Amino acid sequence: MSDKTATVIPASDTERPRLAAPEKMPVTQIALLAFVAAALVVLPFVVTGYVLYIANLLLVFIVLCLGLHLVIGETGQFALAHAAFYGIGIYSSGLAGNAFGWPFPLSMLLAGVVAGAVGVVIGTVALRMRDIYLALATFAFGEAMQWVFLNWDQVTGGPNGLRISPARLGDLEILTDRQAYPVVVFVTLLMIALTIVISRSRVGRSFRAVRESDVAAMAMGIPVRRAKITAFGLSAFYAGVAGSMFATFSTYIHPDSLGFQTTILALTMVVVGGLGSITGAVGGAIVFGLISEFLRQTPSYQEIIYGLILIVFMMYAPRGLFAFIRDQMGRITRG
Amino acid sequence: MKDRITCVWLGAALLAAGLIHSAGAAAQEPGLTEKTIKIGVFSPLSGANMAYGFDVINAAKMYYSKVNKEGGVHGRQIELVIEDDRCNANDLVSAVKKLVEQEQVFMLNGGSCSAAAVAAKDYVVRSKVPWVMLNASADGALYPPTDYIFGAFSITQYAVGGSVVDFGQQHLKAKKIGYINHDDAYGAWNLEAAQVTAKEVDVQLAVESINPNITDVTAPLVKLRAANPDMIAITTYAKPAALIIKKAHELGITKPIVLTVTGTANMSQLVENVGNKDALKNFYVQDVLADAPGGPKIKWVYDMYKEYYPDLDAKPDHPQAYMPYGIAPAMSVVKALQDAGPNPTREKVAENLRNQKFDSGVMAGPIEFGQNDRAAQESTIYLKFDGTQQTLIPGSFQSRWKYKG
Repeated sequence: MSDKTATVIPASDTERPRLAAPEKMPVTQIALLAFVAAALVVLPFVVTGYVLYIANLLLVFIVLCLGLHLVIGETGQFALAHAAFYGIGIYSSGLAGNAFGWPFPLSMLLAGVVAGAVGVVIGTVALRMRDIYLALATFAFGEAMQWVFLNWDQVTGGPNGLRISPARLGDLEILTDRQAYPVVVFVTLLMIALTIVISRSRVGRSFRAVRESDVAAMAMGIPVRRAKITAFGLSAFYAGVAGSMFATFSTYIHPDSLGFQTTILALTMVVVGGLGSITGAVGGAIVFGLISEFLRQTPSYQEIIYGLILIVFMMYAPRGLFAFIRDQMGRITRG
Repeated sequence: MKDRITCVWLGAALLAAGLIHSAGAAAQEPGLTEKTIKIGVFSPLSGANMAYGFDVINAAKMYYSKVNKEGGVHGRQIELVIEDDRCNANDLVSAVKKLVEQEQVFMLNGGSCSAAAVAAKDYVVRSKVPWVMLNASADGALYPPTDYIFGAFSITQYAVGGSVVDFGQQHLKAKKIGYINHDDAYGAWNLEAAQVTAKEVDVQLAVESINPNITDVTAPLVKLRAANPDMIAITTYAKPAALIIKKAHELGITKPIVLTVTGTANMSQLVENVGNKDALKNFYVQDVLADAPGGPKIKWVYDMYKEYYPDLDAKPDHPQAYMPYGIAPAMSVVKALQDAGPNPTREKVAENLRNQKFDSGVMAGPIEFGQNDRAAQESTIYLKFDGTQQTLIPGSFQSRWKYKG
């Protein structure tokens, strides 16, 4: 892929033209980042274990959404099997800990690699499919994997679920959400950084080229087949790592948690945040994760409110929450 | 480069900060004041599984209300903090952690979905908070037993399977039972107890294990018919149960059919799905209450519901089938608090629960825990059901299976 080609491909909000000089970060963005960093550091000192549990869950969903962002948002491949890869990550990591007492960084790597490898296989099989056919095929894979989780008793514990040994690193044993929090934050930051690197790299540009047009990408010399398989593999790797992150603070997994509903929840987060944008994937996971938790306090109306919020988002912010905020800010600045 | 170094420092600082803070401080006995005692209650209160918990919580609430009206427990009024667990493992753990860490409840009384409830086991045990489940059987949280978790007021899967064999042998004089279960862990559990009981009462089992999502039950039924059993026991969920009852009638099987409590959540729906009352001519259902729903022994529960929730009671689907199941767990909590005396601690309450034995008057058998037993109730009753009327069969029936550790 030539440099010139790369600059004409429609870009996501994270992309910079390859040859362009690095832009200075606006003061508002620096302030926002500083605030987020301070909040992340202060959080465990000022909140209860319950809030940290929610924070850990949100961070897991951020990584899950980043994976979905790579395959759907960046590459335009409508894959609906994310819960399956997430499950593979949880079980791989849990079994590595249970059976071999592996330290959690190694289990995490294993979870990502196993899920990524399965993702590559699925990506290869799904190469010829696109749009609704790809969605249906990956949906079928997701359902099949849930069946496997439910029925492979000897390995997954079947409908009895699997108890996961506490994550370890040497003598350190993670038993509480407070102990897991720094690990989960660290891995999330690492995965965000990795996503930015991928997005700005040649690989990221090839993903976006494929998203815009297979034929045009091929004409430009982009190996479309390889790009699609890579996107599937990377996306599954993220989901696997997210699963392993979950296993650092949760000691039990049941196949019921790994159904289509989990994929749809992640998809909703990515779409509402803003498809094709890293900020959207991260923000969508946080906003919708929090909305879902707050709605638990209003059991009688939560489905209606949840539905209404989704409709309002789709009507008034179809490009995503953060694009909407940016537009509104721009409008205010322009007067 | 500078940015990368900053990122590394930030990550390291976060890691260090969290680890230092995780040392934590010792907790005091929470949820207790001179005048109140706070109890965390949770169940599915929204979504598709709301029927498992909504009225069960209502029943527990009305019982606690009654206790408060009568002066509370050692002068303390019971305060309930209610959370929706959506019948989902992550949400149930969120609810439990919120109740324990944020609301600072003294103890927990909740859980209607077994798979979700098991997810909170390790946290509850580590936090040393007494937890009395509502109507979740949650075998996975009860075996192996822990010091703080108590449940199965509406029996375990082990009790389901064992008791149906006991009923077949005692009431129907069956020597050979056609036994249909699911090919999953729930099915394996109830079959294990059925086999233990069958061996003890000298009954032969012809077993057919089916997938919960089965759509055609002809093959397993034809095989069972060939085995010529004296009765057919169905331990499946409601949907396959309706298919089996319907197909058994079509195949001319006239032997008694007994459906366990796993498939009886909505009997009018079952009748509708079977679609032919002739298929229910020789049909029995298992229940875990002391009497038929609305029967004289438990009429007071239904009357109380009417008094506390007149608007709900006027609605066609209320009280929901599992409503009375909420009473016995609330009784168990109140009794454990009373027995702990005027200065209760979590440890005292847990100790009392471990030795608790009483008759709720609502469930089929006594509520009884033991040093190696956290399943409250193991007895069942049986009702002959013709599609409209439910007639109580005298006596209660029990599994012979016991947890051996």
